[in-house]
Formats: sequence, structure tokens, C-alpha cells
Amino acid sequence: MKRKLILFIHFFIILLLPLSCGKQPDHHFLKIGLHEEPKTLNIWLASDANSNKILSLIYQPLYLRDPETLALIPWLADGEPEYDPGTTSYTVHLKPAKWSDGSDVTSKDVAFTADFIKEFRVPRYYSSWEFIKKVETPDNHTVRFYLEEPKAIFLTRTLTSSIVSTKEWANIAQAARTKQKPLIVLINHKIENPLGCGPFVLKKWQQGTYVHLKKNRYFFGLGQDICGRILGPYVNDLLFKVYGTADVAVLALKKGDIDIFLWGIQPGYIDDLKQHKDIQIFYSKKSAVYFMGFNLRSPPFSDVNLRRAIAVLVDKEFIITRILQKYGTPMDSIVPPGNRYWYCSDVSRYGEGMDRDDRIKTAYHILQKAGYTWEEPPVDGNGRVAPGKGLRLPNGQLMEKFTILTPPADYDPHRAMSGVMIQEWLRAMGMPALSRPMAFGALLTQVKGRHEFDAFILGYGRLSMDPDYLSNFFHSDNDKQRGWNMSGYKNPEFDRIAEKSAKEMDPEQRKKLILKMQKIIMTDVPYIPIYNPALIEAVRKDTFTGWVETLDGIGNVWSFCLIKPNDKTSQ
Amino acid sequence: MEIRKFVFKRLIEIFVIFFVILTVLFLLFRLAPGDPVTRMVDPTMTPEDAAHLIAQLGLDQPIWLQYIYYLKNFFTGNFGISFHYGVTVFSIILNRLPNTILLFSTSILLSAFVGIFFGKIASWHKGEKTDTWLTLGALICHTLFLPWLALIMIWIFGFYIGWFPLNGMISPEIWLDSSSGFWLKFLDVAHHMVLPLATLFLIHFGSYLLLMRSSMLDTLREDYILTARAKGLTEKVIRNHHAAPNAALPVVTSVGISLAFSLSGGALTETVFSWPGIGRELVFAVSNSDYPLAQASFLLIATVVLISNLVVDVLYAYLDPRIKY
Repeated sequence: MKRKLILFIHFFIILLLPLSCGKQPDHHFLKIGLHEEPKTLNIWLASDANSNKILSLIYQPLYLRDPETLALIPWLADGEPEYDPGTTSYTVHLKPAKWSDGSDVTSKDVAFTADFIKEFRVPRYYSSWEFIKKVETPDNHTVRFYLEEPKAIFLTRTLTSSIVSTKEWANIAQAARTKQKPLIVLINHKIENPLGCGPFVLKKWQQGTYVHLKKNRYFFGLGQDICGRILGPYVNDLLFKVYGTADVAVLALKKGDIDIFLWGIQPGYIDDLKQHKDIQIFYSKKSAVYFMGFNLRSPPFSDVNLRRAIAVLVDKEFIITRILQKYGTPMDSIVPPGNRYWYCSDVSRYGEGMDRDDRIKTAYHILQKAGYTWEEPPVDGNGRVAPGKGLRLPNGQLMEKFTILTPPADYDPHRAMSGVMIQEWLRAMGMPALSRPMAFGALLTQVKGRHEFDAFILGYGRLSMDPDYLSNFFHSDNDKQRGWNMSGYKNPEFDRIAEKSAKEMDPEQRKKLILKMQKIIMTDVPYIPIYNPALIEAVRKDTFTGWVETLDGIGNVWSFCLIKPNDKTSQ
Repeated sequence: MEIRKFVFKRLIEIFVIFFVILTVLFLLFRLAPGDPVTRMVDPTMTPEDAAHLIAQLGLDQPIWLQYIYYLKNFFTGNFGISFHYGVTVFSIILNRLPNTILLFSTSILLSAFVGIFFGKIASWHKGEKTDTWLTLGALICHTLFLPWLALIMIWIFGFYIGWFPLNGMISPEIWLDSSSGFWLKFLDVAHHMVLPLATLFLIHFGSYLLLMRSSMLDTLREDYILTARAKGLTEKVIRNHHAAPNAALPVVTSVGISLAFSLSGGALTETVFSWPGIGRELVFAVSNSDYPLAQASFLLIATVVLISNLVVDVLYAYLDPRIKY
């Protein structure tokens, strides 16, 4: 009897739990699902996407991209920067703005940010500020930057970096100066209440469970018309919750536990989500490039003809149709087509519109003309395609087995599967290719650190809008350990144009140089750009509306300044 | 050998083993390809930035020097600072470990009690329908694929029927509401625990049931059980007071070791249920070369496993009077 009673009590408690916990408080939260918890709210340490997304709502830059035109527009700044070629200086005026504690944002804070980054050589920021000779503050709302030499990225990268408050960081910097490893003191400083001037402030971060942001009543854009948009925020509270798997996040979205999953979802979920009347799906372009790279430091990939033949054999349309399930665009250049201003469409397009046989024939002719031979050629005397075997290099040596390193399928199934497909296409030409998935860290060490590889498939998921990365990827100076010129590409003409473009302050003149750089790269093909996956995001439209679409999706600061509770829910 | 001498000898052994683990861990992470800086795929991170950061993190020092610092820090109780979180490893473990212990230890204890109970019944009814169904059920549960079961549980009870939350450990809306009292918060955690706990219970209880059944069947063949029957004791008394306590010894060992390993949590369970435990952190730390966090987590697990082994050995002496040290 006693045992039955205990069992009954347990059963009763379990039944009561859903009821007792079903109490919903009167908060009007916008609930955001994240794939992983943010690692830190220290702006100098944050290198993960989730930390940066949250920090982008707290710390603000002087200039921001317009979501439609992608042109730089004054954000914390008031008006366009004024250039004085005589002194190589820029003058920027600030809007009246306050930090979230109510104190004024002044030009001193901007100067402090610049000095701080330079003094401590803050990684990822330093390259955007190192060329600033000095910063003057003629008054509280005017900043004058003196550059060591004209530098194009000043406008696109320096002025789009977040500004921090002197009040928040001065004492921490002072303490760091007394230490043997000051940078470590700075990046390991635990920030409990980040002091920003953005639309939201941190209310609470319960580690492992949620991050709660509240509307910043001192936000400088509140009620202001910027670029024809009257900014809010119109939402009082943001709640970031972690969903470790996309399966559960999609269920949470359907159930209404979250209003948006701030992470791209796989195409496999789309049909299911489309059936739900309260869910809206956004398809955005990404500022990303996924590519195949070669080791140009030694044969056989030092031969441009071999690389061009492989570029012809790689069927980008097939990869997009079958592997990406049509949610992506083929890439012809390293700069993504979504970056409209800098994208060059007039480049060599290898194998475009060809079927498999045509690709093999074209690649065969390229290689044959360059002196390659086969034991069994892939194209016979009658022009018919047959499996090729035993490709010999122009010096008569049999091509040795080579590997295409890819990230593993659990890290990125698209790249792993693309590697397998490319392996098969190359084998049909008689090339002994082997696609080999490798743990991501190990892959980067092989490719970027040790330069011990033949070919690889990698990608950049968050390319900046400024195409200065072309120089990072292909300038010969960056062919060094941990350098971004992973292929070891060397072309004096490219180097010369890259150096010129870095100093060209006239956007139209610089554009011409950037387009030329893209053409050179696509002629020499150290990388074969393959695809740019679409960013698929889903939101509940019955709770909040007004998401702003731009390159890289709807999870941007514009959206969080403009979304409003849906009329139906606010009634 | 008296027990104090035995414990002292084992403690010395534990210290030596621990030192070996300490060294192996250090070498394993340093020899594995990749470092925390190489993984940062950001073109704005120049090679000079990377070199500067590596120097500041002390990773440019010769490996023997790093090892000496590592030992010095360890023996002075300094576990270091996580490369990615920028906070002390101790604080991360302190934040995550209680959550893991709460979920995984509860599930192991619950699975063990239920497994022992039904294992005892199955063995007592050997060859009958009760035994067949219980053994079959245990085998099925034991072989279930955990992520699949977890997702099915979430889909049925969290989404379709909607009785329980889909994931997480708490409802932020309730914890942010100042009017929520202790009991509501307590019930909220319990409510969130039901699905992961049920999943882990289903996966684990089968193994305890099978272990107990097998051990009990061996015990039932012992002479003292025959003696008990000859003395005219009831079947219930023989089963519960004579056979079961002796048969439970291997299960106690298994539970002890499982409890120790429960500290490492379960990366899959914690990921699917977004349970903020140490298991997920451990996987993250290893895959992102966060040496301090990974080393400290593994050392914690090693320490607890070594000590629990000792505790189980000592417990044996009390549970089984035949065992002498």
C-alpha cells in the first residue's frame, strides 16, 4: 500500500509539472535561438560568430553598411569623412550620442580606441589601425585621423570597427601595462557589463543557458531617421537561447519557443517549414566563398595548365544542384557576386555550360597541348570519351597519387561531398586523386602552417565587404607560415596591382584595379572558386515583423532596430 | 595487510598514475596538429597578429619549458585561463559541473536502482515469461542509439504532446520574473530534467538489469542459498536478504565507476538537450585546442575515477566479509 502511494505521488508530481511550469510572465521577449553559446562578451577576445552577433548590438562603429545598397553610411558619425590629401588626414564628426550609462560619447573615446588597438597590437583589429599615425580631437565631436600613407581600407575597415569607451577600458589598460603579457590581461578581462552605445545593453548572461539584452534608452538612433528608416528598437527585450542541434531548433520555432533561429538552416528543413503558416523563410546571399586550392610551391600543381584543366572538370552546377540542393550560386571569382560593387563578372569561366563529355574533352585538349600524355587517354582517336588512365606529366613522369584535403562531413557535409565528387571527376581523366577528410584544426595546420598538402577545399564564411582580402590571399608577401596565401601564389604583376589598390583612395580607380586582380587570379587559378551557399533563415511571422534582408542574412543590427511586435500579438 | 596500509599503498599508486596521466595529457594536446590560433579563419588575422598572440599565450616557448610551467601551475592550484572564454578554467568547470552531476548522477542512480530491482526479479523467474520480457526489454533499451532516442523523446513529449520543454535546463522567462519563487524555479529545473533523465535512464537501466540478473543467477547456485532453503526460510527472504546483497557486488563496482565517469557528462545528450554541462565543453575544448580547459577537465575526471576505484575497493571489504586487505 505504501509503495503504491509513493508511486502515485511521483506520478502526480510529473503530471503537475507541465501545469506548474506553464505560467508565462508578462514579458515581451524576442526569443532568438543560437547554435552555440557566445564564448565571451570581451570585444577583443570574441572571435566566434555568436559572441560577435551579440556584441554588434552593444558596441557600434562610426560607419555602417546600408542594407540595400551596401554603401557606407554615417552611423555614430555625422556626415561623410572629409579627406585632406595634403596632410593625408580624415576628419570625422560625431553625432550626439551617449554610452549606455548615460555619459557622453566623445572624440576622446575614438582616439582612445585607436591608441588602445595600436598599443596592445590587438589581433584582428591591428591590421585595420596600424597605419594611423596619430589621432587628434579638436573638440568633443570631431576626430582627425592622420594616416602614414593613403590606405584604402581606412574607409571600409577602420571606420567600420567598433568604438569602445575610455571609461570602460582605461583602467584595465593601465593595469595591463604593468604586466609582462599585457594583451593576455586585456583579452582575459571578464566583462560583466559591456558599456556600449548600441540599441541594446546586457541585462544578464546566465552562462550555459541564456543571454538577456534590454533596450538601450540612450541609443543615439532611437527615433532618428537614418537612411530613410526610423530606428527603434521597438522591442524591449532580447533573449538568446542555445539550441545544440538544428532539429530541436526547428521544432522550437514551430512550437513558438523561439521567434528566429539565428543560424543558417539546411535545405532539408525547408519543405517542412513551408507547411507552417506562421513561419517565414528568408533566402539571403552570403559574403562567402568556398573554393578548391592547390599547392603551387612544387609540381604538378605549379603548372597553370593542370589547374585550368581541373577548373574545367569541376562541375559547379552539379555541386549546387545535387549537394547544395539548389540553395547556392556558382562562383566565378573570389569576390562573391552579392558584393555587387567589387564583383568582376568578366573573368575566365572554366567549363561553363558544358556537359561532362565536353568538360573531359576540353580538359584533355588543354593538357595534351601542354605536353601531358596518358597510358589510356580519356578521349580516343574518334573523339569518344573513355575512362583515362596513367596521366604522365610533360617531363614523362607518371603523375603521383595526390590528396584533396577537405573538412570532415560532420563539420561541413557540403565540402566533404564536393571533395568526393571532384575526386571522381579527376580520376575519370586518369589523375590519381584521393579526397581525404581531415579534422578542421589539423587541416589548417597542414595547409596554412606547414604547407604540406597537394590540394584542399576550404571556405571563408564571413568575408569583409572590402575586397582587400584578395591581397591577403594572393600577395606573395603573405606566402609564409600562418599566412593567408596558402597556395604559395606568386605573380609580380598581381603584387604590383594589389599594392597600388591598397593605396588608391578614389573608389572608382580602385575598383578598376580590384577587377583586374580578379581577372589575373581567374587566369592563373591558384584557387578554383566553387560555390557560395545561400543563407536560409526562418522566423515566426505571427510574433514579430520587419526583418531587414541584406547580404549575410537578417540577423543584422538594422533588423534589431526595426522589428516590431506583430499587431495581432501586441493587441 | 590492515586497511590503513592498503589505503596508503593505493594512494601512492594513485599519485604515480596521476602523474603519468598529467604528462600524457600535456603531450597529447601539444603533439596533436593545430593550435588555438590556427583555427581562427579570419583574413584580418595577419600572420604577425597570430605570432603575437601565440607569444602572449606562451605557446612559442620550448615544449619542456611549457611542461615545467604546466606542472608548476598545476601543483600551485592554478588550472589556467581558457583560451576561448578568457576566464579561469576553474570557474567554467564550477559553472558546468553541478549541472552534469545533477543530470548524470541522478540518471545512474535511478537506472541502477531500477535495474537491480528488475534484474533480481528476472533472475528469480528465470525461463519464465517475466524473465523473457524483462531481458528482451533491457537488451532493446541497452542497444538504442542515444541521439535518436533523445530526438524521438523530444519530438513526442516535447513537441507533439507538449508536456515537457524541448531542451535547456531552465526557462529564462520564469527565472527573469522577480515574482517567481524558489519552488517554481525548482519545479522548472525538474520539468526540464524529465526528458534527458528519461532518455539516459532508458539507455542505462538495461545494462544494470542484465548485470544484476547474471550475477544473481550465479549467486543462486551457491551453497548458502541451499542452506537457507533447508532452514525453511521463505523465498522472499532468501531472494532479498541472502541472494540479492551478494549479487549486487559487481553492480556496486559498475555504479561506482559510472558515477565517477558521469563527471565527464555526455556530449551527445548535452548537445541534443542543450544541457549546460561539462561534456559539451570538453568536446569543444578538445576540438578547438583549448588546452587549459581540456587538460583540467580530463584531470578532474581522472582524479575522480582513481579515487572512486579506491573507494569501491574499500567498500568491498565492508560489503563482503571474505575480502581481507
